[in-house]
Amino acid sequence: MKLTYIPLLALALTACSSLDEHPKAIISSDNFYKNEAQADAAVVAAYRKLYETGQSLYNSLFQIGVEMATDDYEAGPRARNAHVRAISGLTHDASNDRMEQLWKQSYDGINTSNLAIDKITAIAKENITEDARTRLINEAKFLRALHYFNLVRWFGGVPLVLHTPASLDPAALYVAKSSEAEVYAQIIKDLQDAERLPAPAATGVGRANSGAAKSLLAKVYLTQKNWPQAAAKSKEVIDKNWYALFDNFADVFAVNKKNGKEHIFSAQFQGNAGYQGNSLASRSAANEVPGINGDYADALHKQGGLYESFSNTDARKAVTFVTQMTSPLDGKTYTFEPHFNKYYDPAVVGNQGQSSVNLPILRYADVLLIYAEALNEINHGPNAEAYTYIDQVRTRAGIPKLQDVAPGLSADAFRDSIFQERRKEFVYEYQRWFDLVRRGPDYYVKVLKAAGKTLAAPRHIHFPTPQRELNLNPNLKQDSLWINY
Amino acid sequence: MKKYIHGGNLVLTGLSLLLLLPALLLAQGTTPLINSHLSGIVVDAKTREPLPGAAVNIKGTTHGVATDAEGRFAFVTGQKFPYTLIVSYIGYKKAEIIANTGNITIALESAQAQLNDVVVVGYGVQKKSDLTGAISSVGNAQLKQPVSSIDQALKGAVSGVQVTQTSGQPGGGVSIRIRGGSSIQGGNEPLYVIDGFPVYNNSISAGVISGVPANPLASINPSDIESIDILKDASATAIYGSRGANGVVIITTKKGKADRNNIVYEGSYASQTLRKKVDVLNAHDFAILRNDALYDTDPSKGKYQYLSQEQIDKLGAGTDWQDAAFRTAGSQNHQLSISGGNAKTRYLLSGNYFKQDGIIRHTDFDRISLRANVDANPLDRLKVSASFTASKSDANVAPAGIINSLLIMPPTATIYEPDGSYTLRNPFENIFANPIATLNETQNKSTANRLLATGFAEYNLTEGLRIKVLLGADVNNTVEKSYIPSYIYEGSQTKGIAARGSYNAYSWLNENTVNYNRSFGKHNVDVLAGFTQQEFNMELVTAGARQFVTDDLSYNSLQSGATIDRPGSDASAWVLHSYLARVNYNFNNRYYITASIRADGSSRFGKGNKWGRFPSAAISWRISNEPFFKSLAREIPEFKLRASFGSTGNLEIGEYQSLSTLYSLGYLFGNTIVTGFAPSRIPNDQLGWETTYQYNGGIDIGLFDSRLNLSLDAYYKRTSNLLLNVEIPWTSGFASGLQNFGTVANKGFEVTVNSKNLVGELGWNTDFNISFNRNKVITIGNGAASYISGNYIIKVGEPLGSFYGTVTDGILQTGEEKEKGKFTGNAAPKPGDRLYKDISGDGVFTTANDRTIIGNAQPDFIFGLTNNFTWRGFHLSIFLQGSYGNQVLNTNRQNLELFTGQQNAAASALDRWTPTHPSQTIPRAKLDPAPVFSDRFIEDGSFLRVRNVTLGYTLPKAWTGKISAVNLYVTAQNLLTWTSYSGFDPEITSGSNVSPGTDAGIYPVSRTLSAGIRVTL
Repeated sequence: MKLTYIPLLALALTACSSLDEHPKAIISSDNFYKNEAQADAAVVAAYRKLYETGQSLYNSLFQIGVEMATDDYEAGPRARNAHVRAISGLTHDASNDRMEQLWKQSYDGINTSNLAIDKITAIAKENITEDARTRLINEAKFLRALHYFNLVRWFGGVPLVLHTPASLDPAALYVAKSSEAEVYAQIIKDLQDAERLPAPAATGVGRANSGAAKSLLAKVYLTQKNWPQAAAKSKEVIDKNWYALFDNFADVFAVNKKNGKEHIFSAQFQGNAGYQGNSLASRSAANEVPGINGDYADALHKQGGLYESFSNTDARKAVTFVTQMTSPLDGKTYTFEPHFNKYYDPAVVGNQGQSSVNLPILRYADVLLIYAEALNEINHGPNAEAYTYIDQVRTRAGIPKLQDVAPGLSADAFRDSIFQERRKEFVYEYQRWFDLVRRGPDYYVKVLKAAGKTLAAPRHIHFPTPQRELNLNPNLKQDSLWINY
Repeated sequence: MKKYIHGGNLVLTGLSLLLLLPALLLAQGTTPLINSHLSGIVVDAKTREPLPGAAVNIKGTTHGVATDAEGRFAFVTGQKFPYTLIVSYIGYKKAEIIANTGNITIALESAQAQLNDVVVVGYGVQKKSDLTGAISSVGNAQLKQPVSSIDQALKGAVSGVQVTQTSGQPGGGVSIRIRGGSSIQGGNEPLYVIDGFPVYNNSISAGVISGVPANPLASINPSDIESIDILKDASATAIYGSRGANGVVIITTKKGKADRNNIVYEGSYASQTLRKKVDVLNAHDFAILRNDALYDTDPSKGKYQYLSQEQIDKLGAGTDWQDAAFRTAGSQNHQLSISGGNAKTRYLLSGNYFKQDGIIRHTDFDRISLRANVDANPLDRLKVSASFTASKSDANVAPAGIINSLLIMPPTATIYEPDGSYTLRNPFENIFANPIATLNETQNKSTANRLLATGFAEYNLTEGLRIKVLLGADVNNTVEKSYIPSYIYEGSQTKGIAARGSYNAYSWLNENTVNYNRSFGKHNVDVLAGFTQQEFNMELVTAGARQFVTDDLSYNSLQSGATIDRPGSDASAWVLHSYLARVNYNFNNRYYITASIRADGSSRFGKGNKWGRFPSAAISWRISNEPFFKSLAREIPEFKLRASFGSTGNLEIGEYQSLSTLYSLGYLFGNTIVTGFAPSRIPNDQLGWETTYQYNGGIDIGLFDSRLNLSLDAYYKRTSNLLLNVEIPWTSGFASGLQNFGTVANKGFEVTVNSKNLVGELGWNTDFNISFNRNKVITIGNGAASYISGNYIIKVGEPLGSFYGTVTDGILQTGEEKEKGKFTGNAAPKPGDRLYKDISGDGVFTTANDRTIIGNAQPDFIFGLTNNFTWRGFHLSIFLQGSYGNQVLNTNRQNLELFTGQQNAAASALDRWTPTHPSQTIPRAKLDPAPVFSDRFIEDGSFLRVRNVTLGYTLPKAWTGKISAVNLYVTAQNLLTWTSYSGFDPEITSGSNVSPGTDAGIYPVSRTLSAGIRVTL
């Protein structure tokens, strides 16, 4: 009877589908990270966590979430986020969403590095050379150290997480804070491993290398006030002769000079190529000019006097700021308040969101100034060598040598000169806040109050631990300065 | 005694068939002496339509049967001809007929027949009087509304169903909550079952166009729908198991009827208008505002930094951007259907063309659809049926953010420059594009081709035993196209942006069911068992380019762009296997028991948790059929108590959520983009079902010869193991992990009243429904008490949709800076700043610490009231609908009350604080562009609306001659609305579970007047 077909049909169809998931367009971590190419993919992801999408760490979040809280920057007329305006006015608190992002994105970067380290360590011998394994792990360690170095400066002691979580088991997710010293110890350990990376000439463009690791380590020591080590490590970088200053300051931010002799480690950008531009260019764009479309969310804090501190002969002034522009639309020339201009990309006049200018994370001028500063501290005053290195930076900028205009400075006066030089050299390069806070709360409060940010208080040398994390993690405690302030 | 044989669905895997066969053989073996075979059909005396579910009893015996879906019945009995049959059917007069042949046609006279006496339930039909669960049917007045998609017809139609518009754009979407939202992260929309094919109405988008994509259900032609039945309680929905938790909407399309050949043409035209405009400043007042804001920032530059008084005086009203964008829009609908057939074969063919222009320029929707429904009985015991619809719909979609831009574009700006080119953008600091240029010049199109087909064969194996195999397919190809030309702001930076996306999905379904339906004396049994499987596959491709030398090529020549955007593609699939069984038993039509169970296996869940089981049970007691109730039978012909309990699930979480999937992300080394992979989540092998337990109790009462019918239902719904992205510390590298955590409860009360107030030449019916639902979060993961999600908080003890923000406390007045300045949230407080309440009590106001719950988007109750009047050939229907007690977050207003002078402002700016006008409610003009979310922007969203008024007239027979009927009608949709909401329309939602009730520049719903004709040949 025909009827017999029906159950047969039902049975036939039963075999047509299966409940196991076999994703076609995505892969899962269980069946990945098995060979050298896949190991590299894990590390590439960790690089990308330097900035990912939107307001991300090295693509504007440092500016929005950190630098706004200094004497040189403020929330511009287009900064619509109340949290950003709060940081700018120093009314931020533990629920500030930009601060949450600093924490969140840094740990995202750390986890991606941790995953790379864990997974690459476990790759079978026959699938990867030991050289490649060591190099890739050390690149990931460099990135992990960079994130922890940022975190420890922003938040003080933070949870030290060194492996990617395997499950959602709460016990493994609720990590308590380590002390600042413990975090620094881990940073130094990772960077000492990363020092074994190949020399700059032997590594791919844009990747971390031995020079980047040594330079960052010098900066770590400097921040810890470990002057001898800071001096030794920065001198080591100088003596390697891997790097040199560009003759022309403008070349530091020239698209065709990217990853050049002065650049030690940069966040890489490429506009209009299916990739991502440096969004600082549009955040500071002179949008008063027809045809220049930008946000103008990052503005100069005029009371800080930064613009006025540049002499007119200083080559850095015209690279750092723009006050006049010709409109690409109506051909008229417009004059306006100073806007930051370091990342302005003339190839994309009307569309600065696609700027291809890299963001320097470490550059050689920094190393020179670290060495000069450390020498001054070791010797309780500047020796000739200290003058030599600060003057390399000044000479390139086209301003008189400090040795000539102010010889024989006291240790304190020379320290102030170094900081002033750093301030002018690294405008809009995410350095100011770190430089202010590493001199301690009194200095920070003094400088900010002088610049008219009168709410500055000692607690501001750290950011509060995000309230969300305190709510979720019973083992986490708020920074004592941020309790009942 | 009677027994109801429904359209027999039975589950049958090979195994169950083998098990059942011997039982059948045994049953056959006990057949008693046979003296006569009688078969027949019961029809409506007037329309000759067959009446399914009519009870046919042999007088003087206990032997009775019920007619099947085609009105047919059969007796094999020991009685000898002739004997008397008693035929009864609700809404019809009882008939006694003497049977003396083997084949008989019985015509029943209507007794003010109530429509829809048969209700379509999961995998079958049931007589309304036999229901044990809570099921509502959508009334005729609602079904006949001119709507672009089916779901819109559900507004206010039945109790317990809340329908809100997510976009008023033609073909736009609605959000439906049956008995409240129960899931936080999972889907909350009901399951639609269209002619047996289950469809979850996810919004489909290839991700290319901007704005709200067209509603996928809009590809189904609403004019083809015969009935909509809504399954609400677990007894009704548990047969849909893991997809039943949000309720089930069963849609049945029209079928051809035997011996009734019909050609029907129906056509209508409509005109739509905007209900109201939002009050914003004109050019003159805006210029003063901008001057004030600039002066406030830098008084040293004087009071006229923008325009001088003389210039301001010349300005006048300026550009009214709303007038420029909104229009009176037309729409038309044409439907031709041909149906008919004979006892062996019935068919219905229909073609439909629907076109609706939007009330915003350059937005529209049109649909061409074709349907073929065929039913045939090639053999006496075999029934085959096919239902097939194909449609093509096109939409021009309003780009995202357009409403907001229209409102805040300064009136001093013009649409065009003096040279005739478009003004590119807002000339001030807040840069956004000229919205009229955006509307006129961007291409933002979506085209959907859909094919939905089901077919089944049902074989009547032996008396009461049917076996059915159903196959179905749903194919949906959506193509999206977008082009932004170089001469408007959005395209000016990149010299044109083109993109195309193609979304291809198909789903197939196979259902194998066995149905056994018999009566043994006073015992009536109806058993269903089956195995079903459904598979879904999706593929997506997108491509784009920019920098074109000409705008003429639009999106049609991506290769001509100088810069090619990275192409994208995606693919995913899911599979669902199910075993289901149900038993309906009643004793003497007095005591009813229903029990069902469904076991679902889904590919979406973790290795250890693929299968879920969803049982339900229900009882009802039809007291009106008890002998002791006889004396009241006249006054109370129907009195029934119902109670049910059951569990259902929710699997709307998307695919691959239990795996630690990787996503690709590139990084640039030198000039080369290198691809990396990073994990998107921590794996969770234990990820499983979200389970809803629902208790329901109900009473059905029919009074006064069933002229007044009343249904009351009370329910408690508790959803546990919520599929929740439980927040975890960011130190893990992730923000959350999808886990089964947390519980949400809904409880509610529903009343439905149907009354025939007047019968006779002047007829008057009233249908009323009202629903109360209370929602509460019971637990949320890891012992957390709450978490904040944007402007909302999900908090234990509070309902979902709770707004969380600051509370305003007047305006800082001159001289109060020292004392109250710290409650402004500003570092440098000035008079005219808004003051906020210090909720934390720490002596200072901060936006983070001083927030509280300031409203809720869930209504206290919703209701619908329909009055139908008939008089001779006239028909008037008035449908009121409303919602009470819900709040709406008016983000348009939040934007319009930033008195920055960088963008236009609400008319309330005229009352702003100035030194000479020390307002206590409206702050001063100032440049600070950061909005603070406060109770100021939470508004009462209650409304009462005349949703539909229809006046129809059927031409007298004398005029129409051979044409069997001509109906003319005029209809007004959303004719009047009473609300205190200040935005375009109170009936809005974002559609999200976490953030309902936010009016974020939603395309407003229109008021529509239409006229139509229906001609039946």
